[in-house]
Amino acid sequence: MHMADALLAPAVAATMYVASGSVAGVSIHKLKKDDESRKLPVMAVTAALVFAGQMINYTIPGTGSSGHMCGGMLLSALLGPQAGFLSMIVILTIQCLFFADGGLMALGANIWNMAFYGCFVGYYLIWRPIMNSRWFGEGKRAQRARIIAASILGCVITLQLGAFSVVLETSLSGITELPFGAFVALMQPIHLAIGLVEGLITSAVLLFVFQSRPELLQGVEPEGEESPRRSLGTVVAVLAAVALVVGGGLSLLASSNPDGLEWALFGNAEEGYAENMGLDEEAYGVESAAADTAGAIQEATSFLPDYAFADSDSAIGTTVSGIVGSAMVAGVAALICLAGGFFCKKKAKA
Amino acid sequence: MIEFQKVSFGYEKNRPVLRDLSFRIERGEAVGLIGANGAGKSTVMKLLLGLLWGEGRILVDGLEVRRDTLPEIRRKLGFVLQNSDDQMFMPTVYEDMIFAPLNYMLSREEAEARVDAVLERLGLQDLKHRYNHKISGGEKRMAAIATILAMEPEAILMDEPSSALDPYNRRVVIRTIRELSQTKLISSHDLDMILDTCQRVILLSDGHIAADGPAEQLLRDRALLEANRLELPLSLMGRSQRSY
Amino acid sequence: MNKMHSALRELAEMDELAVRVSPIHALHPAAKLIATVAYILVTLSFDKYDLSGLVPMLLWPILLFALSGIQVRSCFYKLRIVLPLVMAVGLFNPFLDRTIILRMGTLTVSGGVISMLTLMLKGVYCLMASFLLMATTPIDNLCAALRQLHVPKMLVTLLLLTYRYIGVMTGELAVMTDAYHLRAPGQKGIHISAWGSFLGQLLLRSMDRAQELYASMLLRGYHQHFHYADIKPFRGRDALYLLGCLLFFFLLRSVRLAQLLGGLLVR
Repeated sequence: MHMADALLAPAVAATMYVASGSVAGVSIHKLKKDDESRKLPVMAVTAALVFAGQMINYTIPGTGSSGHMCGGMLLSALLGPQAGFLSMIVILTIQCLFFADGGLMALGANIWNMAFYGCFVGYYLIWRPIMNSRWFGEGKRAQRARIIAASILGCVITLQLGAFSVVLETSLSGITELPFGAFVALMQPIHLAIGLVEGLITSAVLLFVFQSRPELLQGVEPEGEESPRRSLGTVVAVLAAVALVVGGGLSLLASSNPDGLEWALFGNAEEGYAENMGLDEEAYGVESAAADTAGAIQEATSFLPDYAFADSDSAIGTTVSGIVGSAMVAGVAALICLAGGFFCKKKAKA
Repeated sequence: MIEFQKVSFGYEKNRPVLRDLSFRIERGEAVGLIGANGAGKSTVMKLLLGLLWGEGRILVDGLEVRRDTLPEIRRKLGFVLQNSDDQMFMPTVYEDMIFAPLNYMLSREEAEARVDAVLERLGLQDLKHRYNHKISGGEKRMAAIATILAMEPEAILMDEPSSALDPYNRRVVIRTIRELSQTKLISSHDLDMILDTCQRVILLSDGHIAADGPAEQLLRDRALLEANRLELPLSLMGRSQRSY
Repeated sequence: MNKMHSALRELAEMDELAVRVSPIHALHPAAKLIATVAYILVTLSFDKYDLSGLVPMLLWPILLFALSGIQVRSCFYKLRIVLPLVMAVGLFNPFLDRTIILRMGTLTVSGGVISMLTLMLKGVYCLMASFLLMATTPIDNLCAALRQLHVPKMLVTLLLLTYRYIGVMTGELAVMTDAYHLRAPGQKGIHISAWGSFLGQLLLRSMDRAQELYASMLLRGYHQHFHYADIKPFRGRDALYLLGCLLFFFLLRSVRLAQLLGGLLVR
């Protein structure tokens, strides 16, 4: 799910940087109030562990394939959402810098897609409510069941959100010709399967920790301590609220930069694109109110209406001279390469 | 320099790790702390450093180990961890070495001079700008010792300083320890190393002191050692005496 | 060799490249970081049909490769991660966007083909740019630059510490994985019965290790404050490099170099 730089337009990349950066800022602020110095080494070592743990192949029984762990849920269950989020940031940064896994400019988006949902949505809206609930009754056995449920639900939901964000960000950037709906239909089911496997792996690891050192888990009360527990109804209500908030947030995000989305959804009417694809606005069932708002905001904010095609004359009108020029540039580049190689070899000899 | 007065400690209520432990180490002494696994060697070190809190009094240089005296106490003590990877957390050897001097409010120039002096004394100048994750186990152990020496502590505590080293590097570490003039408290199962580096030995058994005396004498007492799940140092054991 | 071993090797290779000596290596890391970010942004800002505008952007990374003495092919290995993803997204374009935008005799090129090509070029360019940054800048210098650029101290310290322990943890997991497979020949991955305990065991050990590490920091006088190695001063030549780069990008973005050059020959 690591996005490459090429899949993002600068504006989208920058927006995601701002979003992730603000969450990081709030997290740091919160952690500074707690015992930051004590947490740092634990965060670093756990982050390093998760980094390495992502490379483990887990055999999925009954199939020939293997699954992996992403770690957002695991980190927030072990360290809490803020510390988990910062640890995920560091993991993603190192993957981006040293392994080219996800781009430098796409880092903001990747942090959002993988760390934010996994840590904050996963913790506050799934892990903590479920661990505090009376699901499956009382006692150790019930607590184990809650851990499994929270891990699987958490991984599935946060991965779905992440995958949807990938689609949204790519579409907003106007990168793919793939219609938004088709892209979603492609991404979500794949990530449903991935999320299930990841949830199982995460729950296995957390169960192991619960059995040997339960005090390491966040939001899990030690044996014997009674605290007011929320009923199942509250959990369901909370989950419903999540869905609403997340849905609302996403549509807000979408409407704040509607041109790309609109373009991705309906193509460019003038080009007859929508007809060609056999698509029209109604077919997507986009709520007209949302679409209207989007349209209004777009009109108010767009300085380059129909951006992608605005300077199409100059851009598309690639003349023969453009091709020849490109070839010349390639030639120059090759020359520099040769010269560079020559230079290096000489230096090595000297 | 270091004094334990009736110190007790237990992780759980009914299972004490240390029971009424009392001993005294004079300034400049080199003392080996030996005993079977679980005898309480690490606990002694951790109590002394204020990483654990027990009952009784512990004095360092006349100062009682309490939360308010801790900064001063820790400044006097240098602790070489068993696993150098846990000790060397900065990217390069140099940054690790300068970490403590800078924390103790030395200026950068002074701190740098101190680091260079220690590196030169140990002959480790080559290591200065190397990455901690790229140096060998032997180099890492020497660098960890250098890191502690850069603090200029009055006493040095070491946890298994010779573990997992090849014979050559083990020799180098032993030579280095012998040349240190500070008070030393060394915990180890490597009795040959203890014999080479310490004049005095404290033998712990089940949380109390089973024996305390000159190394030369104590480490030759086969019956005592074997009663405490230890063995004679190889250098004091003829080949024919070894039993497997 | 399992995945962890190869990851360790990849890390070691980057480390080795970063400590070489060249005019590029000697530059201030902040200048390199900003130039890299600017390059990526400019690259991404090209229109999806602007293939001829994008081609000259190749000059900057190539120039950097030559100046730093790092071979272009050393970053090809990393393309294995970037390209498939970009391809997966771009591959549909030729089928979905059939608008003809270029005719040369009987040969026609559709918009989809062009946009797929620009997408791939962007992918490769951005990869080269960030690779060059890391291949010429050691991580500790980069962290120092991040501090200078006012990235929160906590995040930078965490990055440094994590980087330090990634080698340790990956090494331990590599050994554990080898040990597992030695006792479980024919298994491709970890069997479900060990899903929890395999990573869990190491996790518990790591928590203790983190305590040791914290103790080691405390015992050396740590109090909420990390000291870093000397931060290099930002000198004239660093500013010059940065300005030069920015100017170069601006030119490439505003002047249609390819058309211009081609015009010289064709007209």
